[in-house]
This record gives sequence, structure tokens and C-alpha cells, in this order.
Amino acid sequence: MKAKKMALIMVVLILGSMTILAGCGSGSDKNTITFWTPLTGDDGAYMDQLVKDYNATEPEFKIKHVITADMYTKISTVLNSGKGVPDLAIIHADRVPGFVKQGVLEPMGAAISGQPEITEANYLPQAWATGNIEGTQYTVPLDIHSNTMYYNKDLLKQYGVESFLDDDVVTIEEMLSLQGKMEPDQYVVNDALLGWVIMAQIQNLGGDIQENGKPAVNTPVMKQAFEEVKKIADAGLMTPFGEDGYLMFQAGNVLFSTDGTWSSTAHAAVEGLNFGVTNIYSATPDKFTNRASSHLFAMLKNDQRTDEKEAGVGAFLEFIRENSLEWAKAGQIVASKQVIESPEYDQFMQSFFTSNEKEVESLYIYTYEYYPYVAEAVDTYCADIVRGNVDLDETLATMQKFVEDKIAESSGAAGTP
Amino acid sequence: MMNKKSIAPFVFVGPHLILFLIFILIPTLYGIYASFTQWNLMNDPVWVGMANYKAILFDESSTFHNQFVNGLSNTLIFVGISVPLLIVIPLSVAVALEHKKVRMKGFIQALLYIPGLISISAAALIWLLIFNKQLGITGNLFHSQAAWPATQPYAWIIIFVITVWGGVGGNMIIYRASIAGVSRDLYEAAEMDGAGAGRKFISITLPSIRFPLIFTFVMTTAGAFNVFGQPLMMTDGGPRQTTHVLMMYIRQLAFGHGESIAGMASAMAVLLGLVILVISALQYYVMNRNAH
Repeated sequence: MKAKKMALIMVVLILGSMTILAGCGSGSDKNTITFWTPLTGDDGAYMDQLVKDYNATEPEFKIKHVITADMYTKISTVLNSGKGVPDLAIIHADRVPGFVKQGVLEPMGAAISGQPEITEANYLPQAWATGNIEGTQYTVPLDIHSNTMYYNKDLLKQYGVESFLDDDVVTIEEMLSLQGKMEPDQYVVNDALLGWVIMAQIQNLGGDIQENGKPAVNTPVMKQAFEEVKKIADAGLMTPFGEDGYLMFQAGNVLFSTDGTWSSTAHAAVEGLNFGVTNIYSATPDKFTNRASSHLFAMLKNDQRTDEKEAGVGAFLEFIRENSLEWAKAGQIVASKQVIESPEYDQFMQSFFTSNEKEVESLYIYTYEYYPYVAEAVDTYCADIVRGNVDLDETLATMQKFVEDKIAESSGAAGTP
Repeated sequence: MMNKKSIAPFVFVGPHLILFLIFILIPTLYGIYASFTQWNLMNDPVWVGMANYKAILFDESSTFHNQFVNGLSNTLIFVGISVPLLIVIPLSVAVALEHKKVRMKGFIQALLYIPGLISISAAALIWLLIFNKQLGITGNLFHSQAAWPATQPYAWIIIFVITVWGGVGGNMIIYRASIAGVSRDLYEAAEMDGAGAGRKFISITLPSIRFPLIFTFVMTTAGAFNVFGQPLMMTDGGPRQTTHVLMMYIRQLAFGHGESIAGMASAMAVLLGLVILVISALQYYVMNRNAH
């Protein structure tokens, strides 16, 4: 009898714990919008503040912000099980084509139909356009976050090259003019986000990463892009391979740092660093490009999301459109025109990129379906190519094959071999 | 009556069995199934038979073949060097701590054990600063002109340094516990017969802790094959992917950029699992046989 009793207790305990575990996934209640973001850094706190401000307006549907590490993996898990799918999420621009193809995004139409101001005209054009696939709007943009080039004002003055900035295009040729003139342990530019810099040169040189939907990596333009950037490294003007060029810029030993809009807050915290922001250097004086991505609000397919809740999502997005000045504090280029046209926005360094039409155009978001694979290939190999550690032609062929093999696998998985 | 007897064992083993089923057996079986499919984690897996294995093992032009070969050979380098270090150093420390004149044994033991409790990412940040050319010891003390994480063989060296630093404590505790269990009589008898420290170690200590040795050898090897955090944090696989281990490729394929390539990643994981299984079995067989 004792054993039976124990068995019973065990079964109850196990079932009990399983119910508790199962409860973890589906905690969303009827009047709460569960909102997932991948904002694990400092920017998560700014989003928390925005959500708090919104909830303070006593909306019908309150927002529950869940910062989700490994969000894309978790998204695939919840979509597979159909349980615990968030009502709203922030995804990156390069995820949109894949998600739409897989049919996991809900069009935004119903949610924003009650919000007359959420229209293309009120957002930065490329941020809005990345969410538009064949005429259907799948996302509403929060920001553009871009590759940018910071410069050390004191060093520019010291070397007498403030004129580099005159036309807003710092060319590779201009940089090369400093060859042989640098003090020991000082450099013209670092190699932060080098892959993004290469992606910008492809645009500057009039190329693309795809041709009729096929990946175009092993191309003359890609080769030229690498060769141009390699010139800087060959001339000994780039921070040494493997060293932390970002820290070296903050230490005041590098003229230019090619990192991201979001770094401005970190640079500002460095005492004695007198810096400004401009466009990523270019291989040609005729054009400049800042390779960018975008944080986008999107709704994953979820049968349990009611029409009322979707309207609640729309109301939240309208609040963000009007109040995302807070988001500018995270260093991001806010997508809402109302915010970027307000005088308060001018205090932020990144307002440089929306100061005129040409700057706005320079923010380039790649929308090729397989961009993530191309970017992965470039990121994997760019440092070794630019430093001359590998043969350029051979590596470009390897990169092309890398992307093609991955595409073959993923399109096979999507049932379209 | 029969019923009573047959239930009791299940009551005790039940909780573990259920956890084992949910978190180990079912995922393993599903992983093996996934390795025969093309799967992006979103749509249903598409059955492709042996295609993934063929590409990984035999198609020399395939990116996945090259990744697997490079990843596995780098992993083998890591296993081949780190496992002996993680056996010999803890064993030496454990034996040294047995010496009568060593004081503060508990303190030394704690000092060596604590690094194993620190998360690899936090530890890597500290070690990267220590090995930073400008701020750390490599440039200032050793006057090395190279950036260690980006230059071989230094890239491997810093990976082994952090591995040994974090891994010494675990095995050392096991060795100390087992050495403490060896009868003092044996050592006293040996001393009477005129045996020195070396002879005592080889003829008494080593045979007496045979099973803990086999156990740590097999477990350390299996753990080393699954290496991921150290190269990811210290070198990010560089320079030129010479420290890019197999687990990093597997993770990149399944959870990296863009659409997941989970089928291929599963096939690589299954192959890695087979390698670990075969090597562990061999180790156990050889060591157990030699011990008799």
C-alpha cells in the first residue's frame, strides 16, 4: 500500500510540475499585448521607458515588454508549437523577406487601419519600404541604425586635414594622402564593422549583391570594393590586425572610426574625446553610402490575437510614432518624421543623417532575400582579405560557393528546390 | 502482491526517467531524424535521406564539407592538447597538496576551483584584456609585437590558458578525494621498503585511483569535443578560421544569420556525437584493460 501511495504522490508531483512548466509559455492575458524585442543591450532600457510611458496613458491594452535573448530561435520554437506567440515583436530589416516567404508574418493593415497617421509619408522612406513586400505592408519601422564614421576633431586639426570633411565624402584617396605622415601608434582609420564598410563600397561603385535573385558575390565590383579598402591597410593606415580599433579610437589614436550610430553614447562617455560624425569613407568622390538596418514592428501569425488587440497594437505604434524621441537617446536614427523634424531631435548626433535629402538617401538597407548569407560570407572573410592574409580571387570564389550552398539548403527546406 | 513490487522501483527512478525522456532521449532522437532532412525550423522538415551526410563527408566542393573538416580538425587539436593538460596538471596539484609541509590546503584548493564557477564570457573579457597588446602583459612584459588573438600559435595558446585556468579545479577535487581514500598503510609499508616519492606515486597512488582516472579522462575528453565558449569568446574562430571549432559551425548553421540550416547542422552534430562515442568507448576499453 505504501508503495502505491508513494507512486500516487509522485504522479501528482510530476503532473503538478508539468502544469507549472506548461504555464510558462502561455502567460499572455486577454488585455495585455506581449511584445518581444531582441534589445538585450542598453537600448532595451530605452524601450522599457517608452513602454512604461505608454502604459501610463491607461490604454485599453497594456504592453508587456519582454527582452528576449536568442529571439529568432525562440520565435521559430513558438511558431512551431503555436503556443506563446507574442502579439508584437521587433525584428530586423533583413529578416522580413524570409519571414514573409515562410508565411509567418501577419500584414499590418488591420492593426493600423484605425491610425490615419501611420502611413508611408510619415516615416523615412527606406525604413517603411523594407516592410513592403509586393504591395503588402508587413511592418512599421521604429528606427534606422546605420554604419557611421566618427572622427577625432583634435587629430584632424593636428594633421591639418579638416578639409577632408568639406564635401561630406571622405575618400580613400584623401586618406591615402596621409601615408608616411602619421606619428607612431596613430592610425587614420580602424576596422570596426569592416563588413558593413565593404557593403557600402559595393553601392558606391554601382554594384549589387544579387542579380535576378541569384547571389552575386564573386563579381568585379566586390573585388574592386575589397581592393580599394585594402589600399588603406596596405599603406599601414589602418589599425593593426587583431587589435581593438574601437578602443584605439576612444584612446585618441585614430582619426576615423567606422562603427555604428549607437556608439555615439559610448564615445560621449569618454573623457577628453572630442569627436564628430560623418559618412563612411568612399572609394569614389561621387557617392557615399552608409550601410544600414532597421528595427521594425511586426506581428507574427497568431490565431489567438483578436481584432481588438490588433487595434491596441495600432494605438501603441501611433504612440511610438509620436513619442520615440526617447529612442533617439539610444543613438538610433528614429524612423518617425514627426520626431526627426522636431527641434529637440537636433541635439542628437545622428540627426546628421537626416539633415538633408542626400544624407537620408545614403542610408542603404539591403533587401535581398538572402542578404544575411551574403553578409555572413563578407563578415567571415573580409578581415583576412583586407589584411592580405588570403588570395582575393580564391576567397571570392569560396564566398560565392558559401552563399550558394546555404541558399540551396534553405530553399530545399522551404520546399522549393 | 506482484503489483506492489513492480511499482516501487519506478517510483524511485520515475522522476529521472521522465526528465531523461523529455530533455535528452526525445531531443536526441528528433535531432537524428532532423539530420536526414532539410529543415529551417519554421516549415516541416523535408526528408532528404543521406544527402546531408553525403555532402558533409564526400562532396569536397561543398561549403559544409569544408566547414566540417576544418571544424573537426580544430576540435581534435583542442582535445589533443587540452585533455592531457587537464589530467596532468590537476593530478600534479592534487599530489603536491598531499605533502605534509603544504599549508592552507583548503585555501589553495578553493583558489584553483573558483575559476571554474565564473562564466566563460566574463572570464574571456578579463583574459582578453590581460592578453591585449597595448594594455596587457603580452606587449608590455613579453614585448610581443603580435596581437595574440589574431596570430597563431598565440591564438591557440590563449584558448588553452583560459581552458586550463577554468578547468583545473574540477578534476583536482576528484583526484584529491580519491587520493585521500587510499590507505595510509600502503604508503607506510612502501616507505619501510625504501620506496621514494616517485615510486610511491607510480606503484600506489596511480593504481589506487584507477577508476577516477578513467572517469575523468573519458568525461574531460567528451567535454573537450564540445568546446565552444573559449574559441568563440577569445578568437571568434580566427585567424583564418584556424580556431573555428565544429560546435561553432553547428551553431552558426542552425541559429546563425538568416534562415536556419538545421538539417545540415543536425547531421554535423550527429557525426560529432559518433566521434565522441567511439573515442570514449576506446578510451574506456584501453584503460580498463591495461589496468588489469
